[in-house]
Amino acid sequence: MSFITAYCSLTEDVCSVNGTAIIGRDHASADSWFKQIYKQQELAYPKFYKMDMLSQAGFLASELIKRAIPTLTAAYNDDEIALVFANRSSSAETDQRFINSYEHNGAPSPSLFVYTLPNIVLGEIAILNKWYGENMFAVLPKFAPDFYLDYLQILHAAGSKAILCGWLEVTQTQTEVLLFMVEEKGTGIMECSKQNLAELWHASFPAAK
Amino acid sequence: MIYIGSEVMVSPLGMTAEENWNSLLANRSGIAPADRAGFAGEQVWLSKIPSITGSRRFEKLVMQAMTQIEKGIDRSILSSSRTIVLLSSTKGELEDDINDPFGSIAGVLVRQFKLANQPLIISNACISGVLAINTAGGFIDAGIYDHAIVIGCDVVSDFVVYGFQSLFAISNKPCAPFDAGRNGISMGEGCGAMVVSSDRAVFKNNPLELLTGTSANDANHISGPSRTGEGLFRSVSRTLTRHGVMPGDIDFICAHGTGTVFNDEMEAIAFDRLALSRVPLNSMKGYFGHTLGAAGLIETATSMQMMRHGVLLKSQGFMNTGTSIPLNVITANEDKKLNTILKTASGFGGGNASLMIRKI
Repeated sequence: MSFITAYCSLTEDVCSVNGTAIIGRDHASADSWFKQIYKQQELAYPKFYKMDMLSQAGFLASELIKRAIPTLTAAYNDDEIALVFANRSSSAETDQRFINSYEHNGAPSPSLFVYTLPNIVLGEIAILNKWYGENMFAVLPKFAPDFYLDYLQILHAAGSKAILCGWLEVTQTQTEVLLFMVEEKGTGIMECSKQNLAELWHASFPAAK
Repeated sequence: MIYIGSEVMVSPLGMTAEENWNSLLANRSGIAPADRAGFAGEQVWLSKIPSITGSRRFEKLVMQAMTQIEKGIDRSILSSSRTIVLLSSTKGELEDDINDPFGSIAGVLVRQFKLANQPLIISNACISGVLAINTAGGFIDAGIYDHAIVIGCDVVSDFVVYGFQSLFAISNKPCAPFDAGRNGISMGEGCGAMVVSSDRAVFKNNPLELLTGTSANDANHISGPSRTGEGLFRSVSRTLTRHGVMPGDIDFICAHGTGTVFNDEMEAIAFDRLALSRVPLNSMKGYFGHTLGAAGLIETATSMQMMRHGVLLKSQGFMNTGTSIPLNVITANEDKKLNTILKTASGFGGGNASLMIRKI
């Protein structure tokens, strides 16, 4: 049996860890919402400023999950921690910015182009943590508990022991970010079941379809 | 045992696996000069399919491959609730819908082929295809599905050509993987597909055995290969160990071999660390160009054809050793019985993936 041992959600206005809001967005601030979280949580990883929004979101939520599970990194080998993320729009937001660079700003931007793949966020998290485990990024029409549950089975069979799962839909009009850590050790916060995942999703994004 | 077969290939070298095989055997390449294809209006070497034109080229290619898959298996499998379709792609229908590049293809497949389950789209840069085949193996191993149809597709667009140009990663001649004079990639387009199943009887032709592999991140750089080949080393080590296969059991390696200086060097280091540097090896990129999300499928399908025909295909574009550790790059077609082969892929985001296929 596996358990969700920590989770973090980001909506347009609130960042929560394990269901408790830790920071609300200041609409008067000159900083972007993600930058507000970065500063307020006193994170120190200057590469954050180079990342696109998808990677920023993944970075923030994974760092907050690690803080909520202080024993995580010591408990596993560096290739036993896997990453399974998904979203609806792939890297569409950055794709548009890249097109804009060559259609309106003179030349294709290499620093944007490298973010025009949705799995780059997995690479950013792997690099920061020196995690050599399995990676998967899927594009789904909506958050689907079955996708995670099925793929968790595959990863467990292949030797992964701690699996950071995520839904990262970040566009101009939408911020739906939910990351959750699934482990087999301990009892966690809740069992990683279809019903619990559906409820976690609904509690994090009550207005989502 | 997990079976793999009914491979389909759609590329500039042919619209079927058989046509592709005949072109490959003649060492023909799909890479040709494309006028004014570059950002500054310059000529770029590309591997494009001239007969697929107009809008919705991605969808046309996927449909083309899926129609051939339909002919290669028991038809009831396609619409079974025990079947999943896995689609590997980096950019999908970007040219048709920038906001939602994967929004329509799944629905089209469901309607056209009466699929019981929503197709799963896998988008992990250049390892997408190998990862998708491994996911198929994993689904079947876990008993979640009995059959999987794996499709990989990407089309050449201004977006990817300009993007790789901006990274100075495009070759000024047809790409030459592992060669001393290599200087970048040639972009390609195409579609590869195959069937993975727990049931041998679904295949009309003899299947092979899939030895499902694993992936590993380099944890090094989002767009630069690791200097030590750590991720590729770990992925292949785990894949070998998982199936109790020794390096000496591998008859052929279908490498990733993009033709960039750093990627091919990284692979040479990893294969050396794995005691695989003497195994006959090629890169298919000199024939098909780099087809991104389709590469894993097209190149695995080619490897399967090589096993069926008992031929080691020449690594197109290779002339002189160009890696710090020499590899056994195949310089001419050669008849050879191939029992066990290794396919690898590495890509942006630090991903590495590998799988093996064995003759039954």
